[in-house]
Amino acid sequence: MEKSNKYKILLIEPSEIVSAGISAIISRSPEFTIVQTLSNPGYFNAQNSDIDIIIINPVVIDYNERFDIRSYFGKENLTIVALTQASYEESVLRQYNGCIGIYDSAQRIVQKLKSAVEDATQAPKNDINELSTRERDILTAVAKGKTNKEIADEFNISIYTVISHRRNISQKLGINSISGLTVYAIMNKLVDMSDFN
Amino acid sequence: MTIEATYKKQMKMAELIAADNSLLSILQRLNIRLGFGEATVQDICTRYNISTALFLEICNIYSFRHYRPHIEELAKSDIANITTYLRASHKFYTEVCFPAIHNSVHNLVKELDDVNRRLIDKFYDDYDNEVNNHFRYEEDIVFPYIESLQAGGKKNDEAYHISKFEDNHSNISEKLNDLKNIIIKYLPEEHSSVVRFSLLNDIYAVENDLRKHSLIENKLLIPLVEIMEKEYGEE
Repeated sequence: MEKSNKYKILLIEPSEIVSAGISAIISRSPEFTIVQTLSNPGYFNAQNSDIDIIIINPVVIDYNERFDIRSYFGKENLTIVALTQASYEESVLRQYNGCIGIYDSAQRIVQKLKSAVEDATQAPKNDINELSTRERDILTAVAKGKTNKEIADEFNISIYTVISHRRNISQKLGINSISGLTVYAIMNKLVDMSDFN
Repeated sequence: MTIEATYKKQMKMAELIAADNSLLSILQRLNIRLGFGEATVQDICTRYNISTALFLEICNIYSFRHYRPHIEELAKSDIANITTYLRASHKFYTEVCFPAIHNSVHNLVKELDDVNRRLIDKFYDDYDNEVNNHFRYEEDIVFPYIESLQAGGKKNDEAYHISKFEDNHSNISEKLNDLKNIIIKYLPEEHSSVVRFSLLNDIYAVENDLRKHSLIENKLLIPLVEIMEKEYGEE
């Protein structure tokens, strides 16, 4: 890659210290250049900019929009990398092309940026998979009105695991409410309507 | 950093509508008549006795996805205007938006087999109840509390606190979103799609509106009430 043809990065990070640190590390790499830093996304619209990569601390994204990161900046084919200081749901981080932790070494950060750029050129992120057998079993139990505790006992797993299964089920189906999941379960003959009458 | 333009009080009302037709529904629920010629936003607000600052905040929230509301633009007296607006919105939802959706759901289920018809019917009826309860709770408990707070007396309902409102503030678009995905992804389609497309368009529109509605509650109303509660607490 030509020197003049570096990937242009927008860095969005509320901490000035972290922002300065990441900028310093990236400025030493021949492939990447930070062209702009912001402390919050504000009204930033990437549509008319020539930014290639956005490195963003997910903490600045409004909670309700945490699953909409791909549409947030109004530009397709952006490489979006999370810069995290806290832990996030896996389904949130899955939308990003990569994830940099603040304890990563300088070398690792640049490496991660490279694989993020590669990741972004692969297939789009929204993979809607079929439910796994386990997920179908848990969905059936949810539709029958069982509580997380009951399901955990039945399958001999922790409540935490039940919750994470339910989150993945909702994510895959696009259905969150129990009554919505019940409708899906009956339509797909996982449970029978007569169970409810 | 690019700052998107926001609406200003000197702009002509007709320009706002030309910029974003979803603002028409705001005029509709505020009973603002069309035919406003060259009148500015401020002219119209004065004519209808509506707070210009609040009207602009609402329009900006509607039109600009990343707009951050400015409560510092509003006066405490705007609290009553917000509750008036929210009541008008509830009326708009229950008398215009949801009846249209209900009607489309009714047409949709006519095409379905017995099991799916009962499923969708029940799902929608439950949702309808949930929405009505949600609105009734706000109108019977929350808004009167806020209005009495503003009228200068917290005493008659000392036990209530706006943080309870935040706790009870259920997300009423969740089931709507579920219904949308059930129709798009899972409901078997044997007949015409016309009903489904029109129903989906209606759901998207009301979903979007409800999202703005809760932004107005969470980013304008609640912070203002919290400020007022704090003042009472300090007295």
